[in-house]
Amino acid sequence: MPTYILGISALYHDSAAVLLCDGVIVAGVQEERFSRLKHDATLPVRSAKWCMDRVGITAADLSWVVFYEKPLRKFERILSTSVATFPRSWAAFPRHMRAWLGDKLWLRGNLCQAFGVPASKVLFCEHHLSHAASAFFASPHENAAILCVDGVGEWATTSLWRGRGTQIEPVSEVRFPHSIGLFYSAITAHLGFSVNEGEFKVMGMAAYGQPRFEAEMNKLLRLESGGGFSLDMDYFSWHWHPTQAASPKLSELLGAGRFPGTAFTPRLAAEGASESEIEVSQRFADLAASAQAQTEAAMLHLVRHAHTTVGTDALCYAGGVALNSVANNRIAAEGPFDHVWIQPAAGDAGGALGAALWAWHAVLGNPRGPAMTRTDIGRETPNATTREILDDLGARYADVGEEAPERAADDLAAGRVIGWMNGRCEWGPRALGYRSILADPRKPETRDAVNVRVKYREPFRPFAPSVVAESAATYFDIPAAAAAPSRFMLTAGGVKDGARESLGAVTHVDGTARVQVVDAASSPAYHRLISRFGEHTGVPVVLNTSFNLKGEPVVSSPVDAMASFVRSGLDLLYIDNFRVERPK
Amino acid sequence: MSESQPSKMETMLMRFGTAGALLAMLGRGGRWWMVPLVVVLLIVAVGLLFLQSIHYVAPFIYMVF
Amino acid sequence: MGWLRRCYLTVASEFSWRVPGRPQRLLGAFALAERGSMLDMFAAVEATKRRDMRKKYFHHGLDEGRHALIFAERVRAFGLLGRAEAAMEDSGQLLEAGIVGGQTLFERLGEPEFMAFVYVAEADAVEQFNVYLDRGLPDDATQAQLRAILKDEVFHVTYSRTEVDKYRKDGLPMDATMRKIRLRRVWERWLRFSRDFGSFTSGIWLSLLYFLVLGPFRLFGRLEAGGWHPVEGRAGDALALARSEG
Repeated sequence: MPTYILGISALYHDSAAVLLCDGVIVAGVQEERFSRLKHDATLPVRSAKWCMDRVGITAADLSWVVFYEKPLRKFERILSTSVATFPRSWAAFPRHMRAWLGDKLWLRGNLCQAFGVPASKVLFCEHHLSHAASAFFASPHENAAILCVDGVGEWATTSLWRGRGTQIEPVSEVRFPHSIGLFYSAITAHLGFSVNEGEFKVMGMAAYGQPRFEAEMNKLLRLESGGGFSLDMDYFSWHWHPTQAASPKLSELLGAGRFPGTAFTPRLAAEGASESEIEVSQRFADLAASAQAQTEAAMLHLVRHAHTTVGTDALCYAGGVALNSVANNRIAAEGPFDHVWIQPAAGDAGGALGAALWAWHAVLGNPRGPAMTRTDIGRETPNATTREILDDLGARYADVGEEAPERAADDLAAGRVIGWMNGRCEWGPRALGYRSILADPRKPETRDAVNVRVKYREPFRPFAPSVVAESAATYFDIPAAAAAPSRFMLTAGGVKDGARESLGAVTHVDGTARVQVVDAASSPAYHRLISRFGEHTGVPVVLNTSFNLKGEPVVSSPVDAMASFVRSGLDLLYIDNFRVERPK
Repeated sequence: MSESQPSKMETMLMRFGTAGALLAMLGRGGRWWMVPLVVVLLIVAVGLLFLQSIHYVAPFIYMVF
Repeated sequence: MGWLRRCYLTVASEFSWRVPGRPQRLLGAFALAERGSMLDMFAAVEATKRRDMRKKYFHHGLDEGRHALIFAERVRAFGLLGRAEAAMEDSGQLLEAGIVGGQTLFERLGEPEFMAFVYVAEADAVEQFNVYLDRGLPDDATQAQLRAILKDEVFHVTYSRTEVDKYRKDGLPMDATMRKIRLRRVWERWLRFSRDFGSFTSGIWLSLLYFLVLGPFRLFGRLEAGGWHPVEGRAGDALALARSEG
């Protein structure tokens, strides 16, 4: 009987379950893909069940269930922070204690009940160690510095580790309340976006501004000579306020925050706005640019410190901040490491994978396996089941068999916007060609069409391109160190001067693009699709955005896909072998 | 039965283990001063868990007090 | 019992539509409820063994999704943009809807009882909306939308009743099932109230505890300083350390 390890992340942001069979990833999925509740944080019961069903085992066959955090340490942090911020923490304390004393503290029993295992099989990995393991053990590197940067786990908000073979040793950490992730979230809230959702919008907004608030940002987030950083906590309130990240002082320093949903009309996208409106928007754009620049500076500072301290040529990197693709590009281009490897599910969901890998390698001492090159470890549906569902729903469809990628490319070349669901769902927050909305990347109008008909996103958010590996260098400047993360759409680099004209829909206002490089070995169907599109148009690039409607998680089953298709303005839907047309 | 889901009794015993681990961790981390506070909170937790287990009559219980 | 419910709805409708701030909350709750039942219906499409029902569930789900958007738009019209956005975007608020203990409503109830549930819930909604319309509440624009939604709801009531009748003909005790569902809906409402009440009172106790017990400890509590702190690995048996929650 092989050793089955179930990794679990839950109860904070994005819950997920991952199943390892003798150290090999056999299945991994976020609970939101089943429950259809975005960022669902409940214990991933359905995900775990699906993982086990897929390989035909039951809970009795599991050797270990590994949770991605040490709950007691987190409780200690919350309690001692409440004490240290007395009496300002009066509103947060009852909320935290109700949740912890009544439920979260007793996690061991809850895990046993939810996943049907005895207490002796339950293990706990530290939050940042889970992140570290998700980056290091999934990477091809035997020796690496490991950096994790996020909001907060137990105490650490930033941590540095040394990875050697099957062991990860701690080096140092920056502790709560000093946190780059929470700093970015506070700015996100100040700019009128919801936290954990709007961070990417800030990144998109930043391209419209100039970082002219450098002095203010230096006041908020100081880079220290010892290679670390600290925040001026007077401006923030996440350590004592139940819901708000910024204290009123932040508005005194940066000016009033943006009201959610207000039109954004900076100078580069003014579109008939009045001068005063432009000025207001421009200030927000400049704030976003300044916060982004400060984050990038802080990341470079941390990465340089990691290099001096650990002294390897490879960096493994994870944590929510590692989803900041613009900062990642600078780490790769300007940082001291020759190789950078980033976990595709860099956020909390990835902790499920890290916790499981940590148990297999570091606790049980098993040797390393091949690196993670594919992200399609999620749910799939057999063609027969899909056909049955399409028949039952009365869909107008054709079975195009194995030709689906080519047919889809033909449709794209004809100017259609398509929903593309192929094979197993990808791991992590980015759509990587398994659950994507695809369109022609060449004309800027396509971007508006996708926005108006499907995504209903703010117009200042760019769409990403996917390019075949063979042509990546023709269109994009990708730093050599970023070869691995660019496979997972984790870096945003420059679009080559000559190529911007032909990539109007995916080039951001600052001339960058969050590119995904697609190789034939790890994504064969998607590679065929893009290649064929290239044969038609001379541009082997497609516009790729996640296949979901606003406020919903990425689709995972044929029913999700059909429901999103019918409710959106997509021209066509591909589900594996089937080409579905719009209902008449 | 050790290979399956724990019983209610076992879950209860597990909670004692968790409480002990919590206190031990505070000692290890040098936060001795938190021990009395945590003891008080653990007593509160017993009350909270009890009320949760009979939450469907909670309003009446509070009326009695 | 029908007259009792109608009395309650009449009084509640005055309260919900005329007290400032309440209409937004009610409409927001409708938006969330509709979105929740959209998810329930789509989950039923996937889970059902009755292939003839798939299309009905699917269209029912599409209707509910459309209604959710209409209600969210109405919240905005009443002038509370932030919360409407939150209601539509923050699915954390939706966690109550349908899915309990990892099971969808359909999986929990099974098909006949699910159908009875749909019938009872939809009939209740129709009754509730009719009370509003009869009383001319709240305003013309919202009434027009309510009427449009009612048309869909009547279809939902009709098809679910047909199915319930079929099950009854097949010898299933559908009347008992529906009584059970009605009772459970009241019971669940009580539980929700009871839980909210419990949270409220435990909040008061915990606040008291905060000021009386936590205060003195303030002398010891310090926030951590910024910058790097060196970390030592813990010595000991790897598996024993991994078992520890702290």
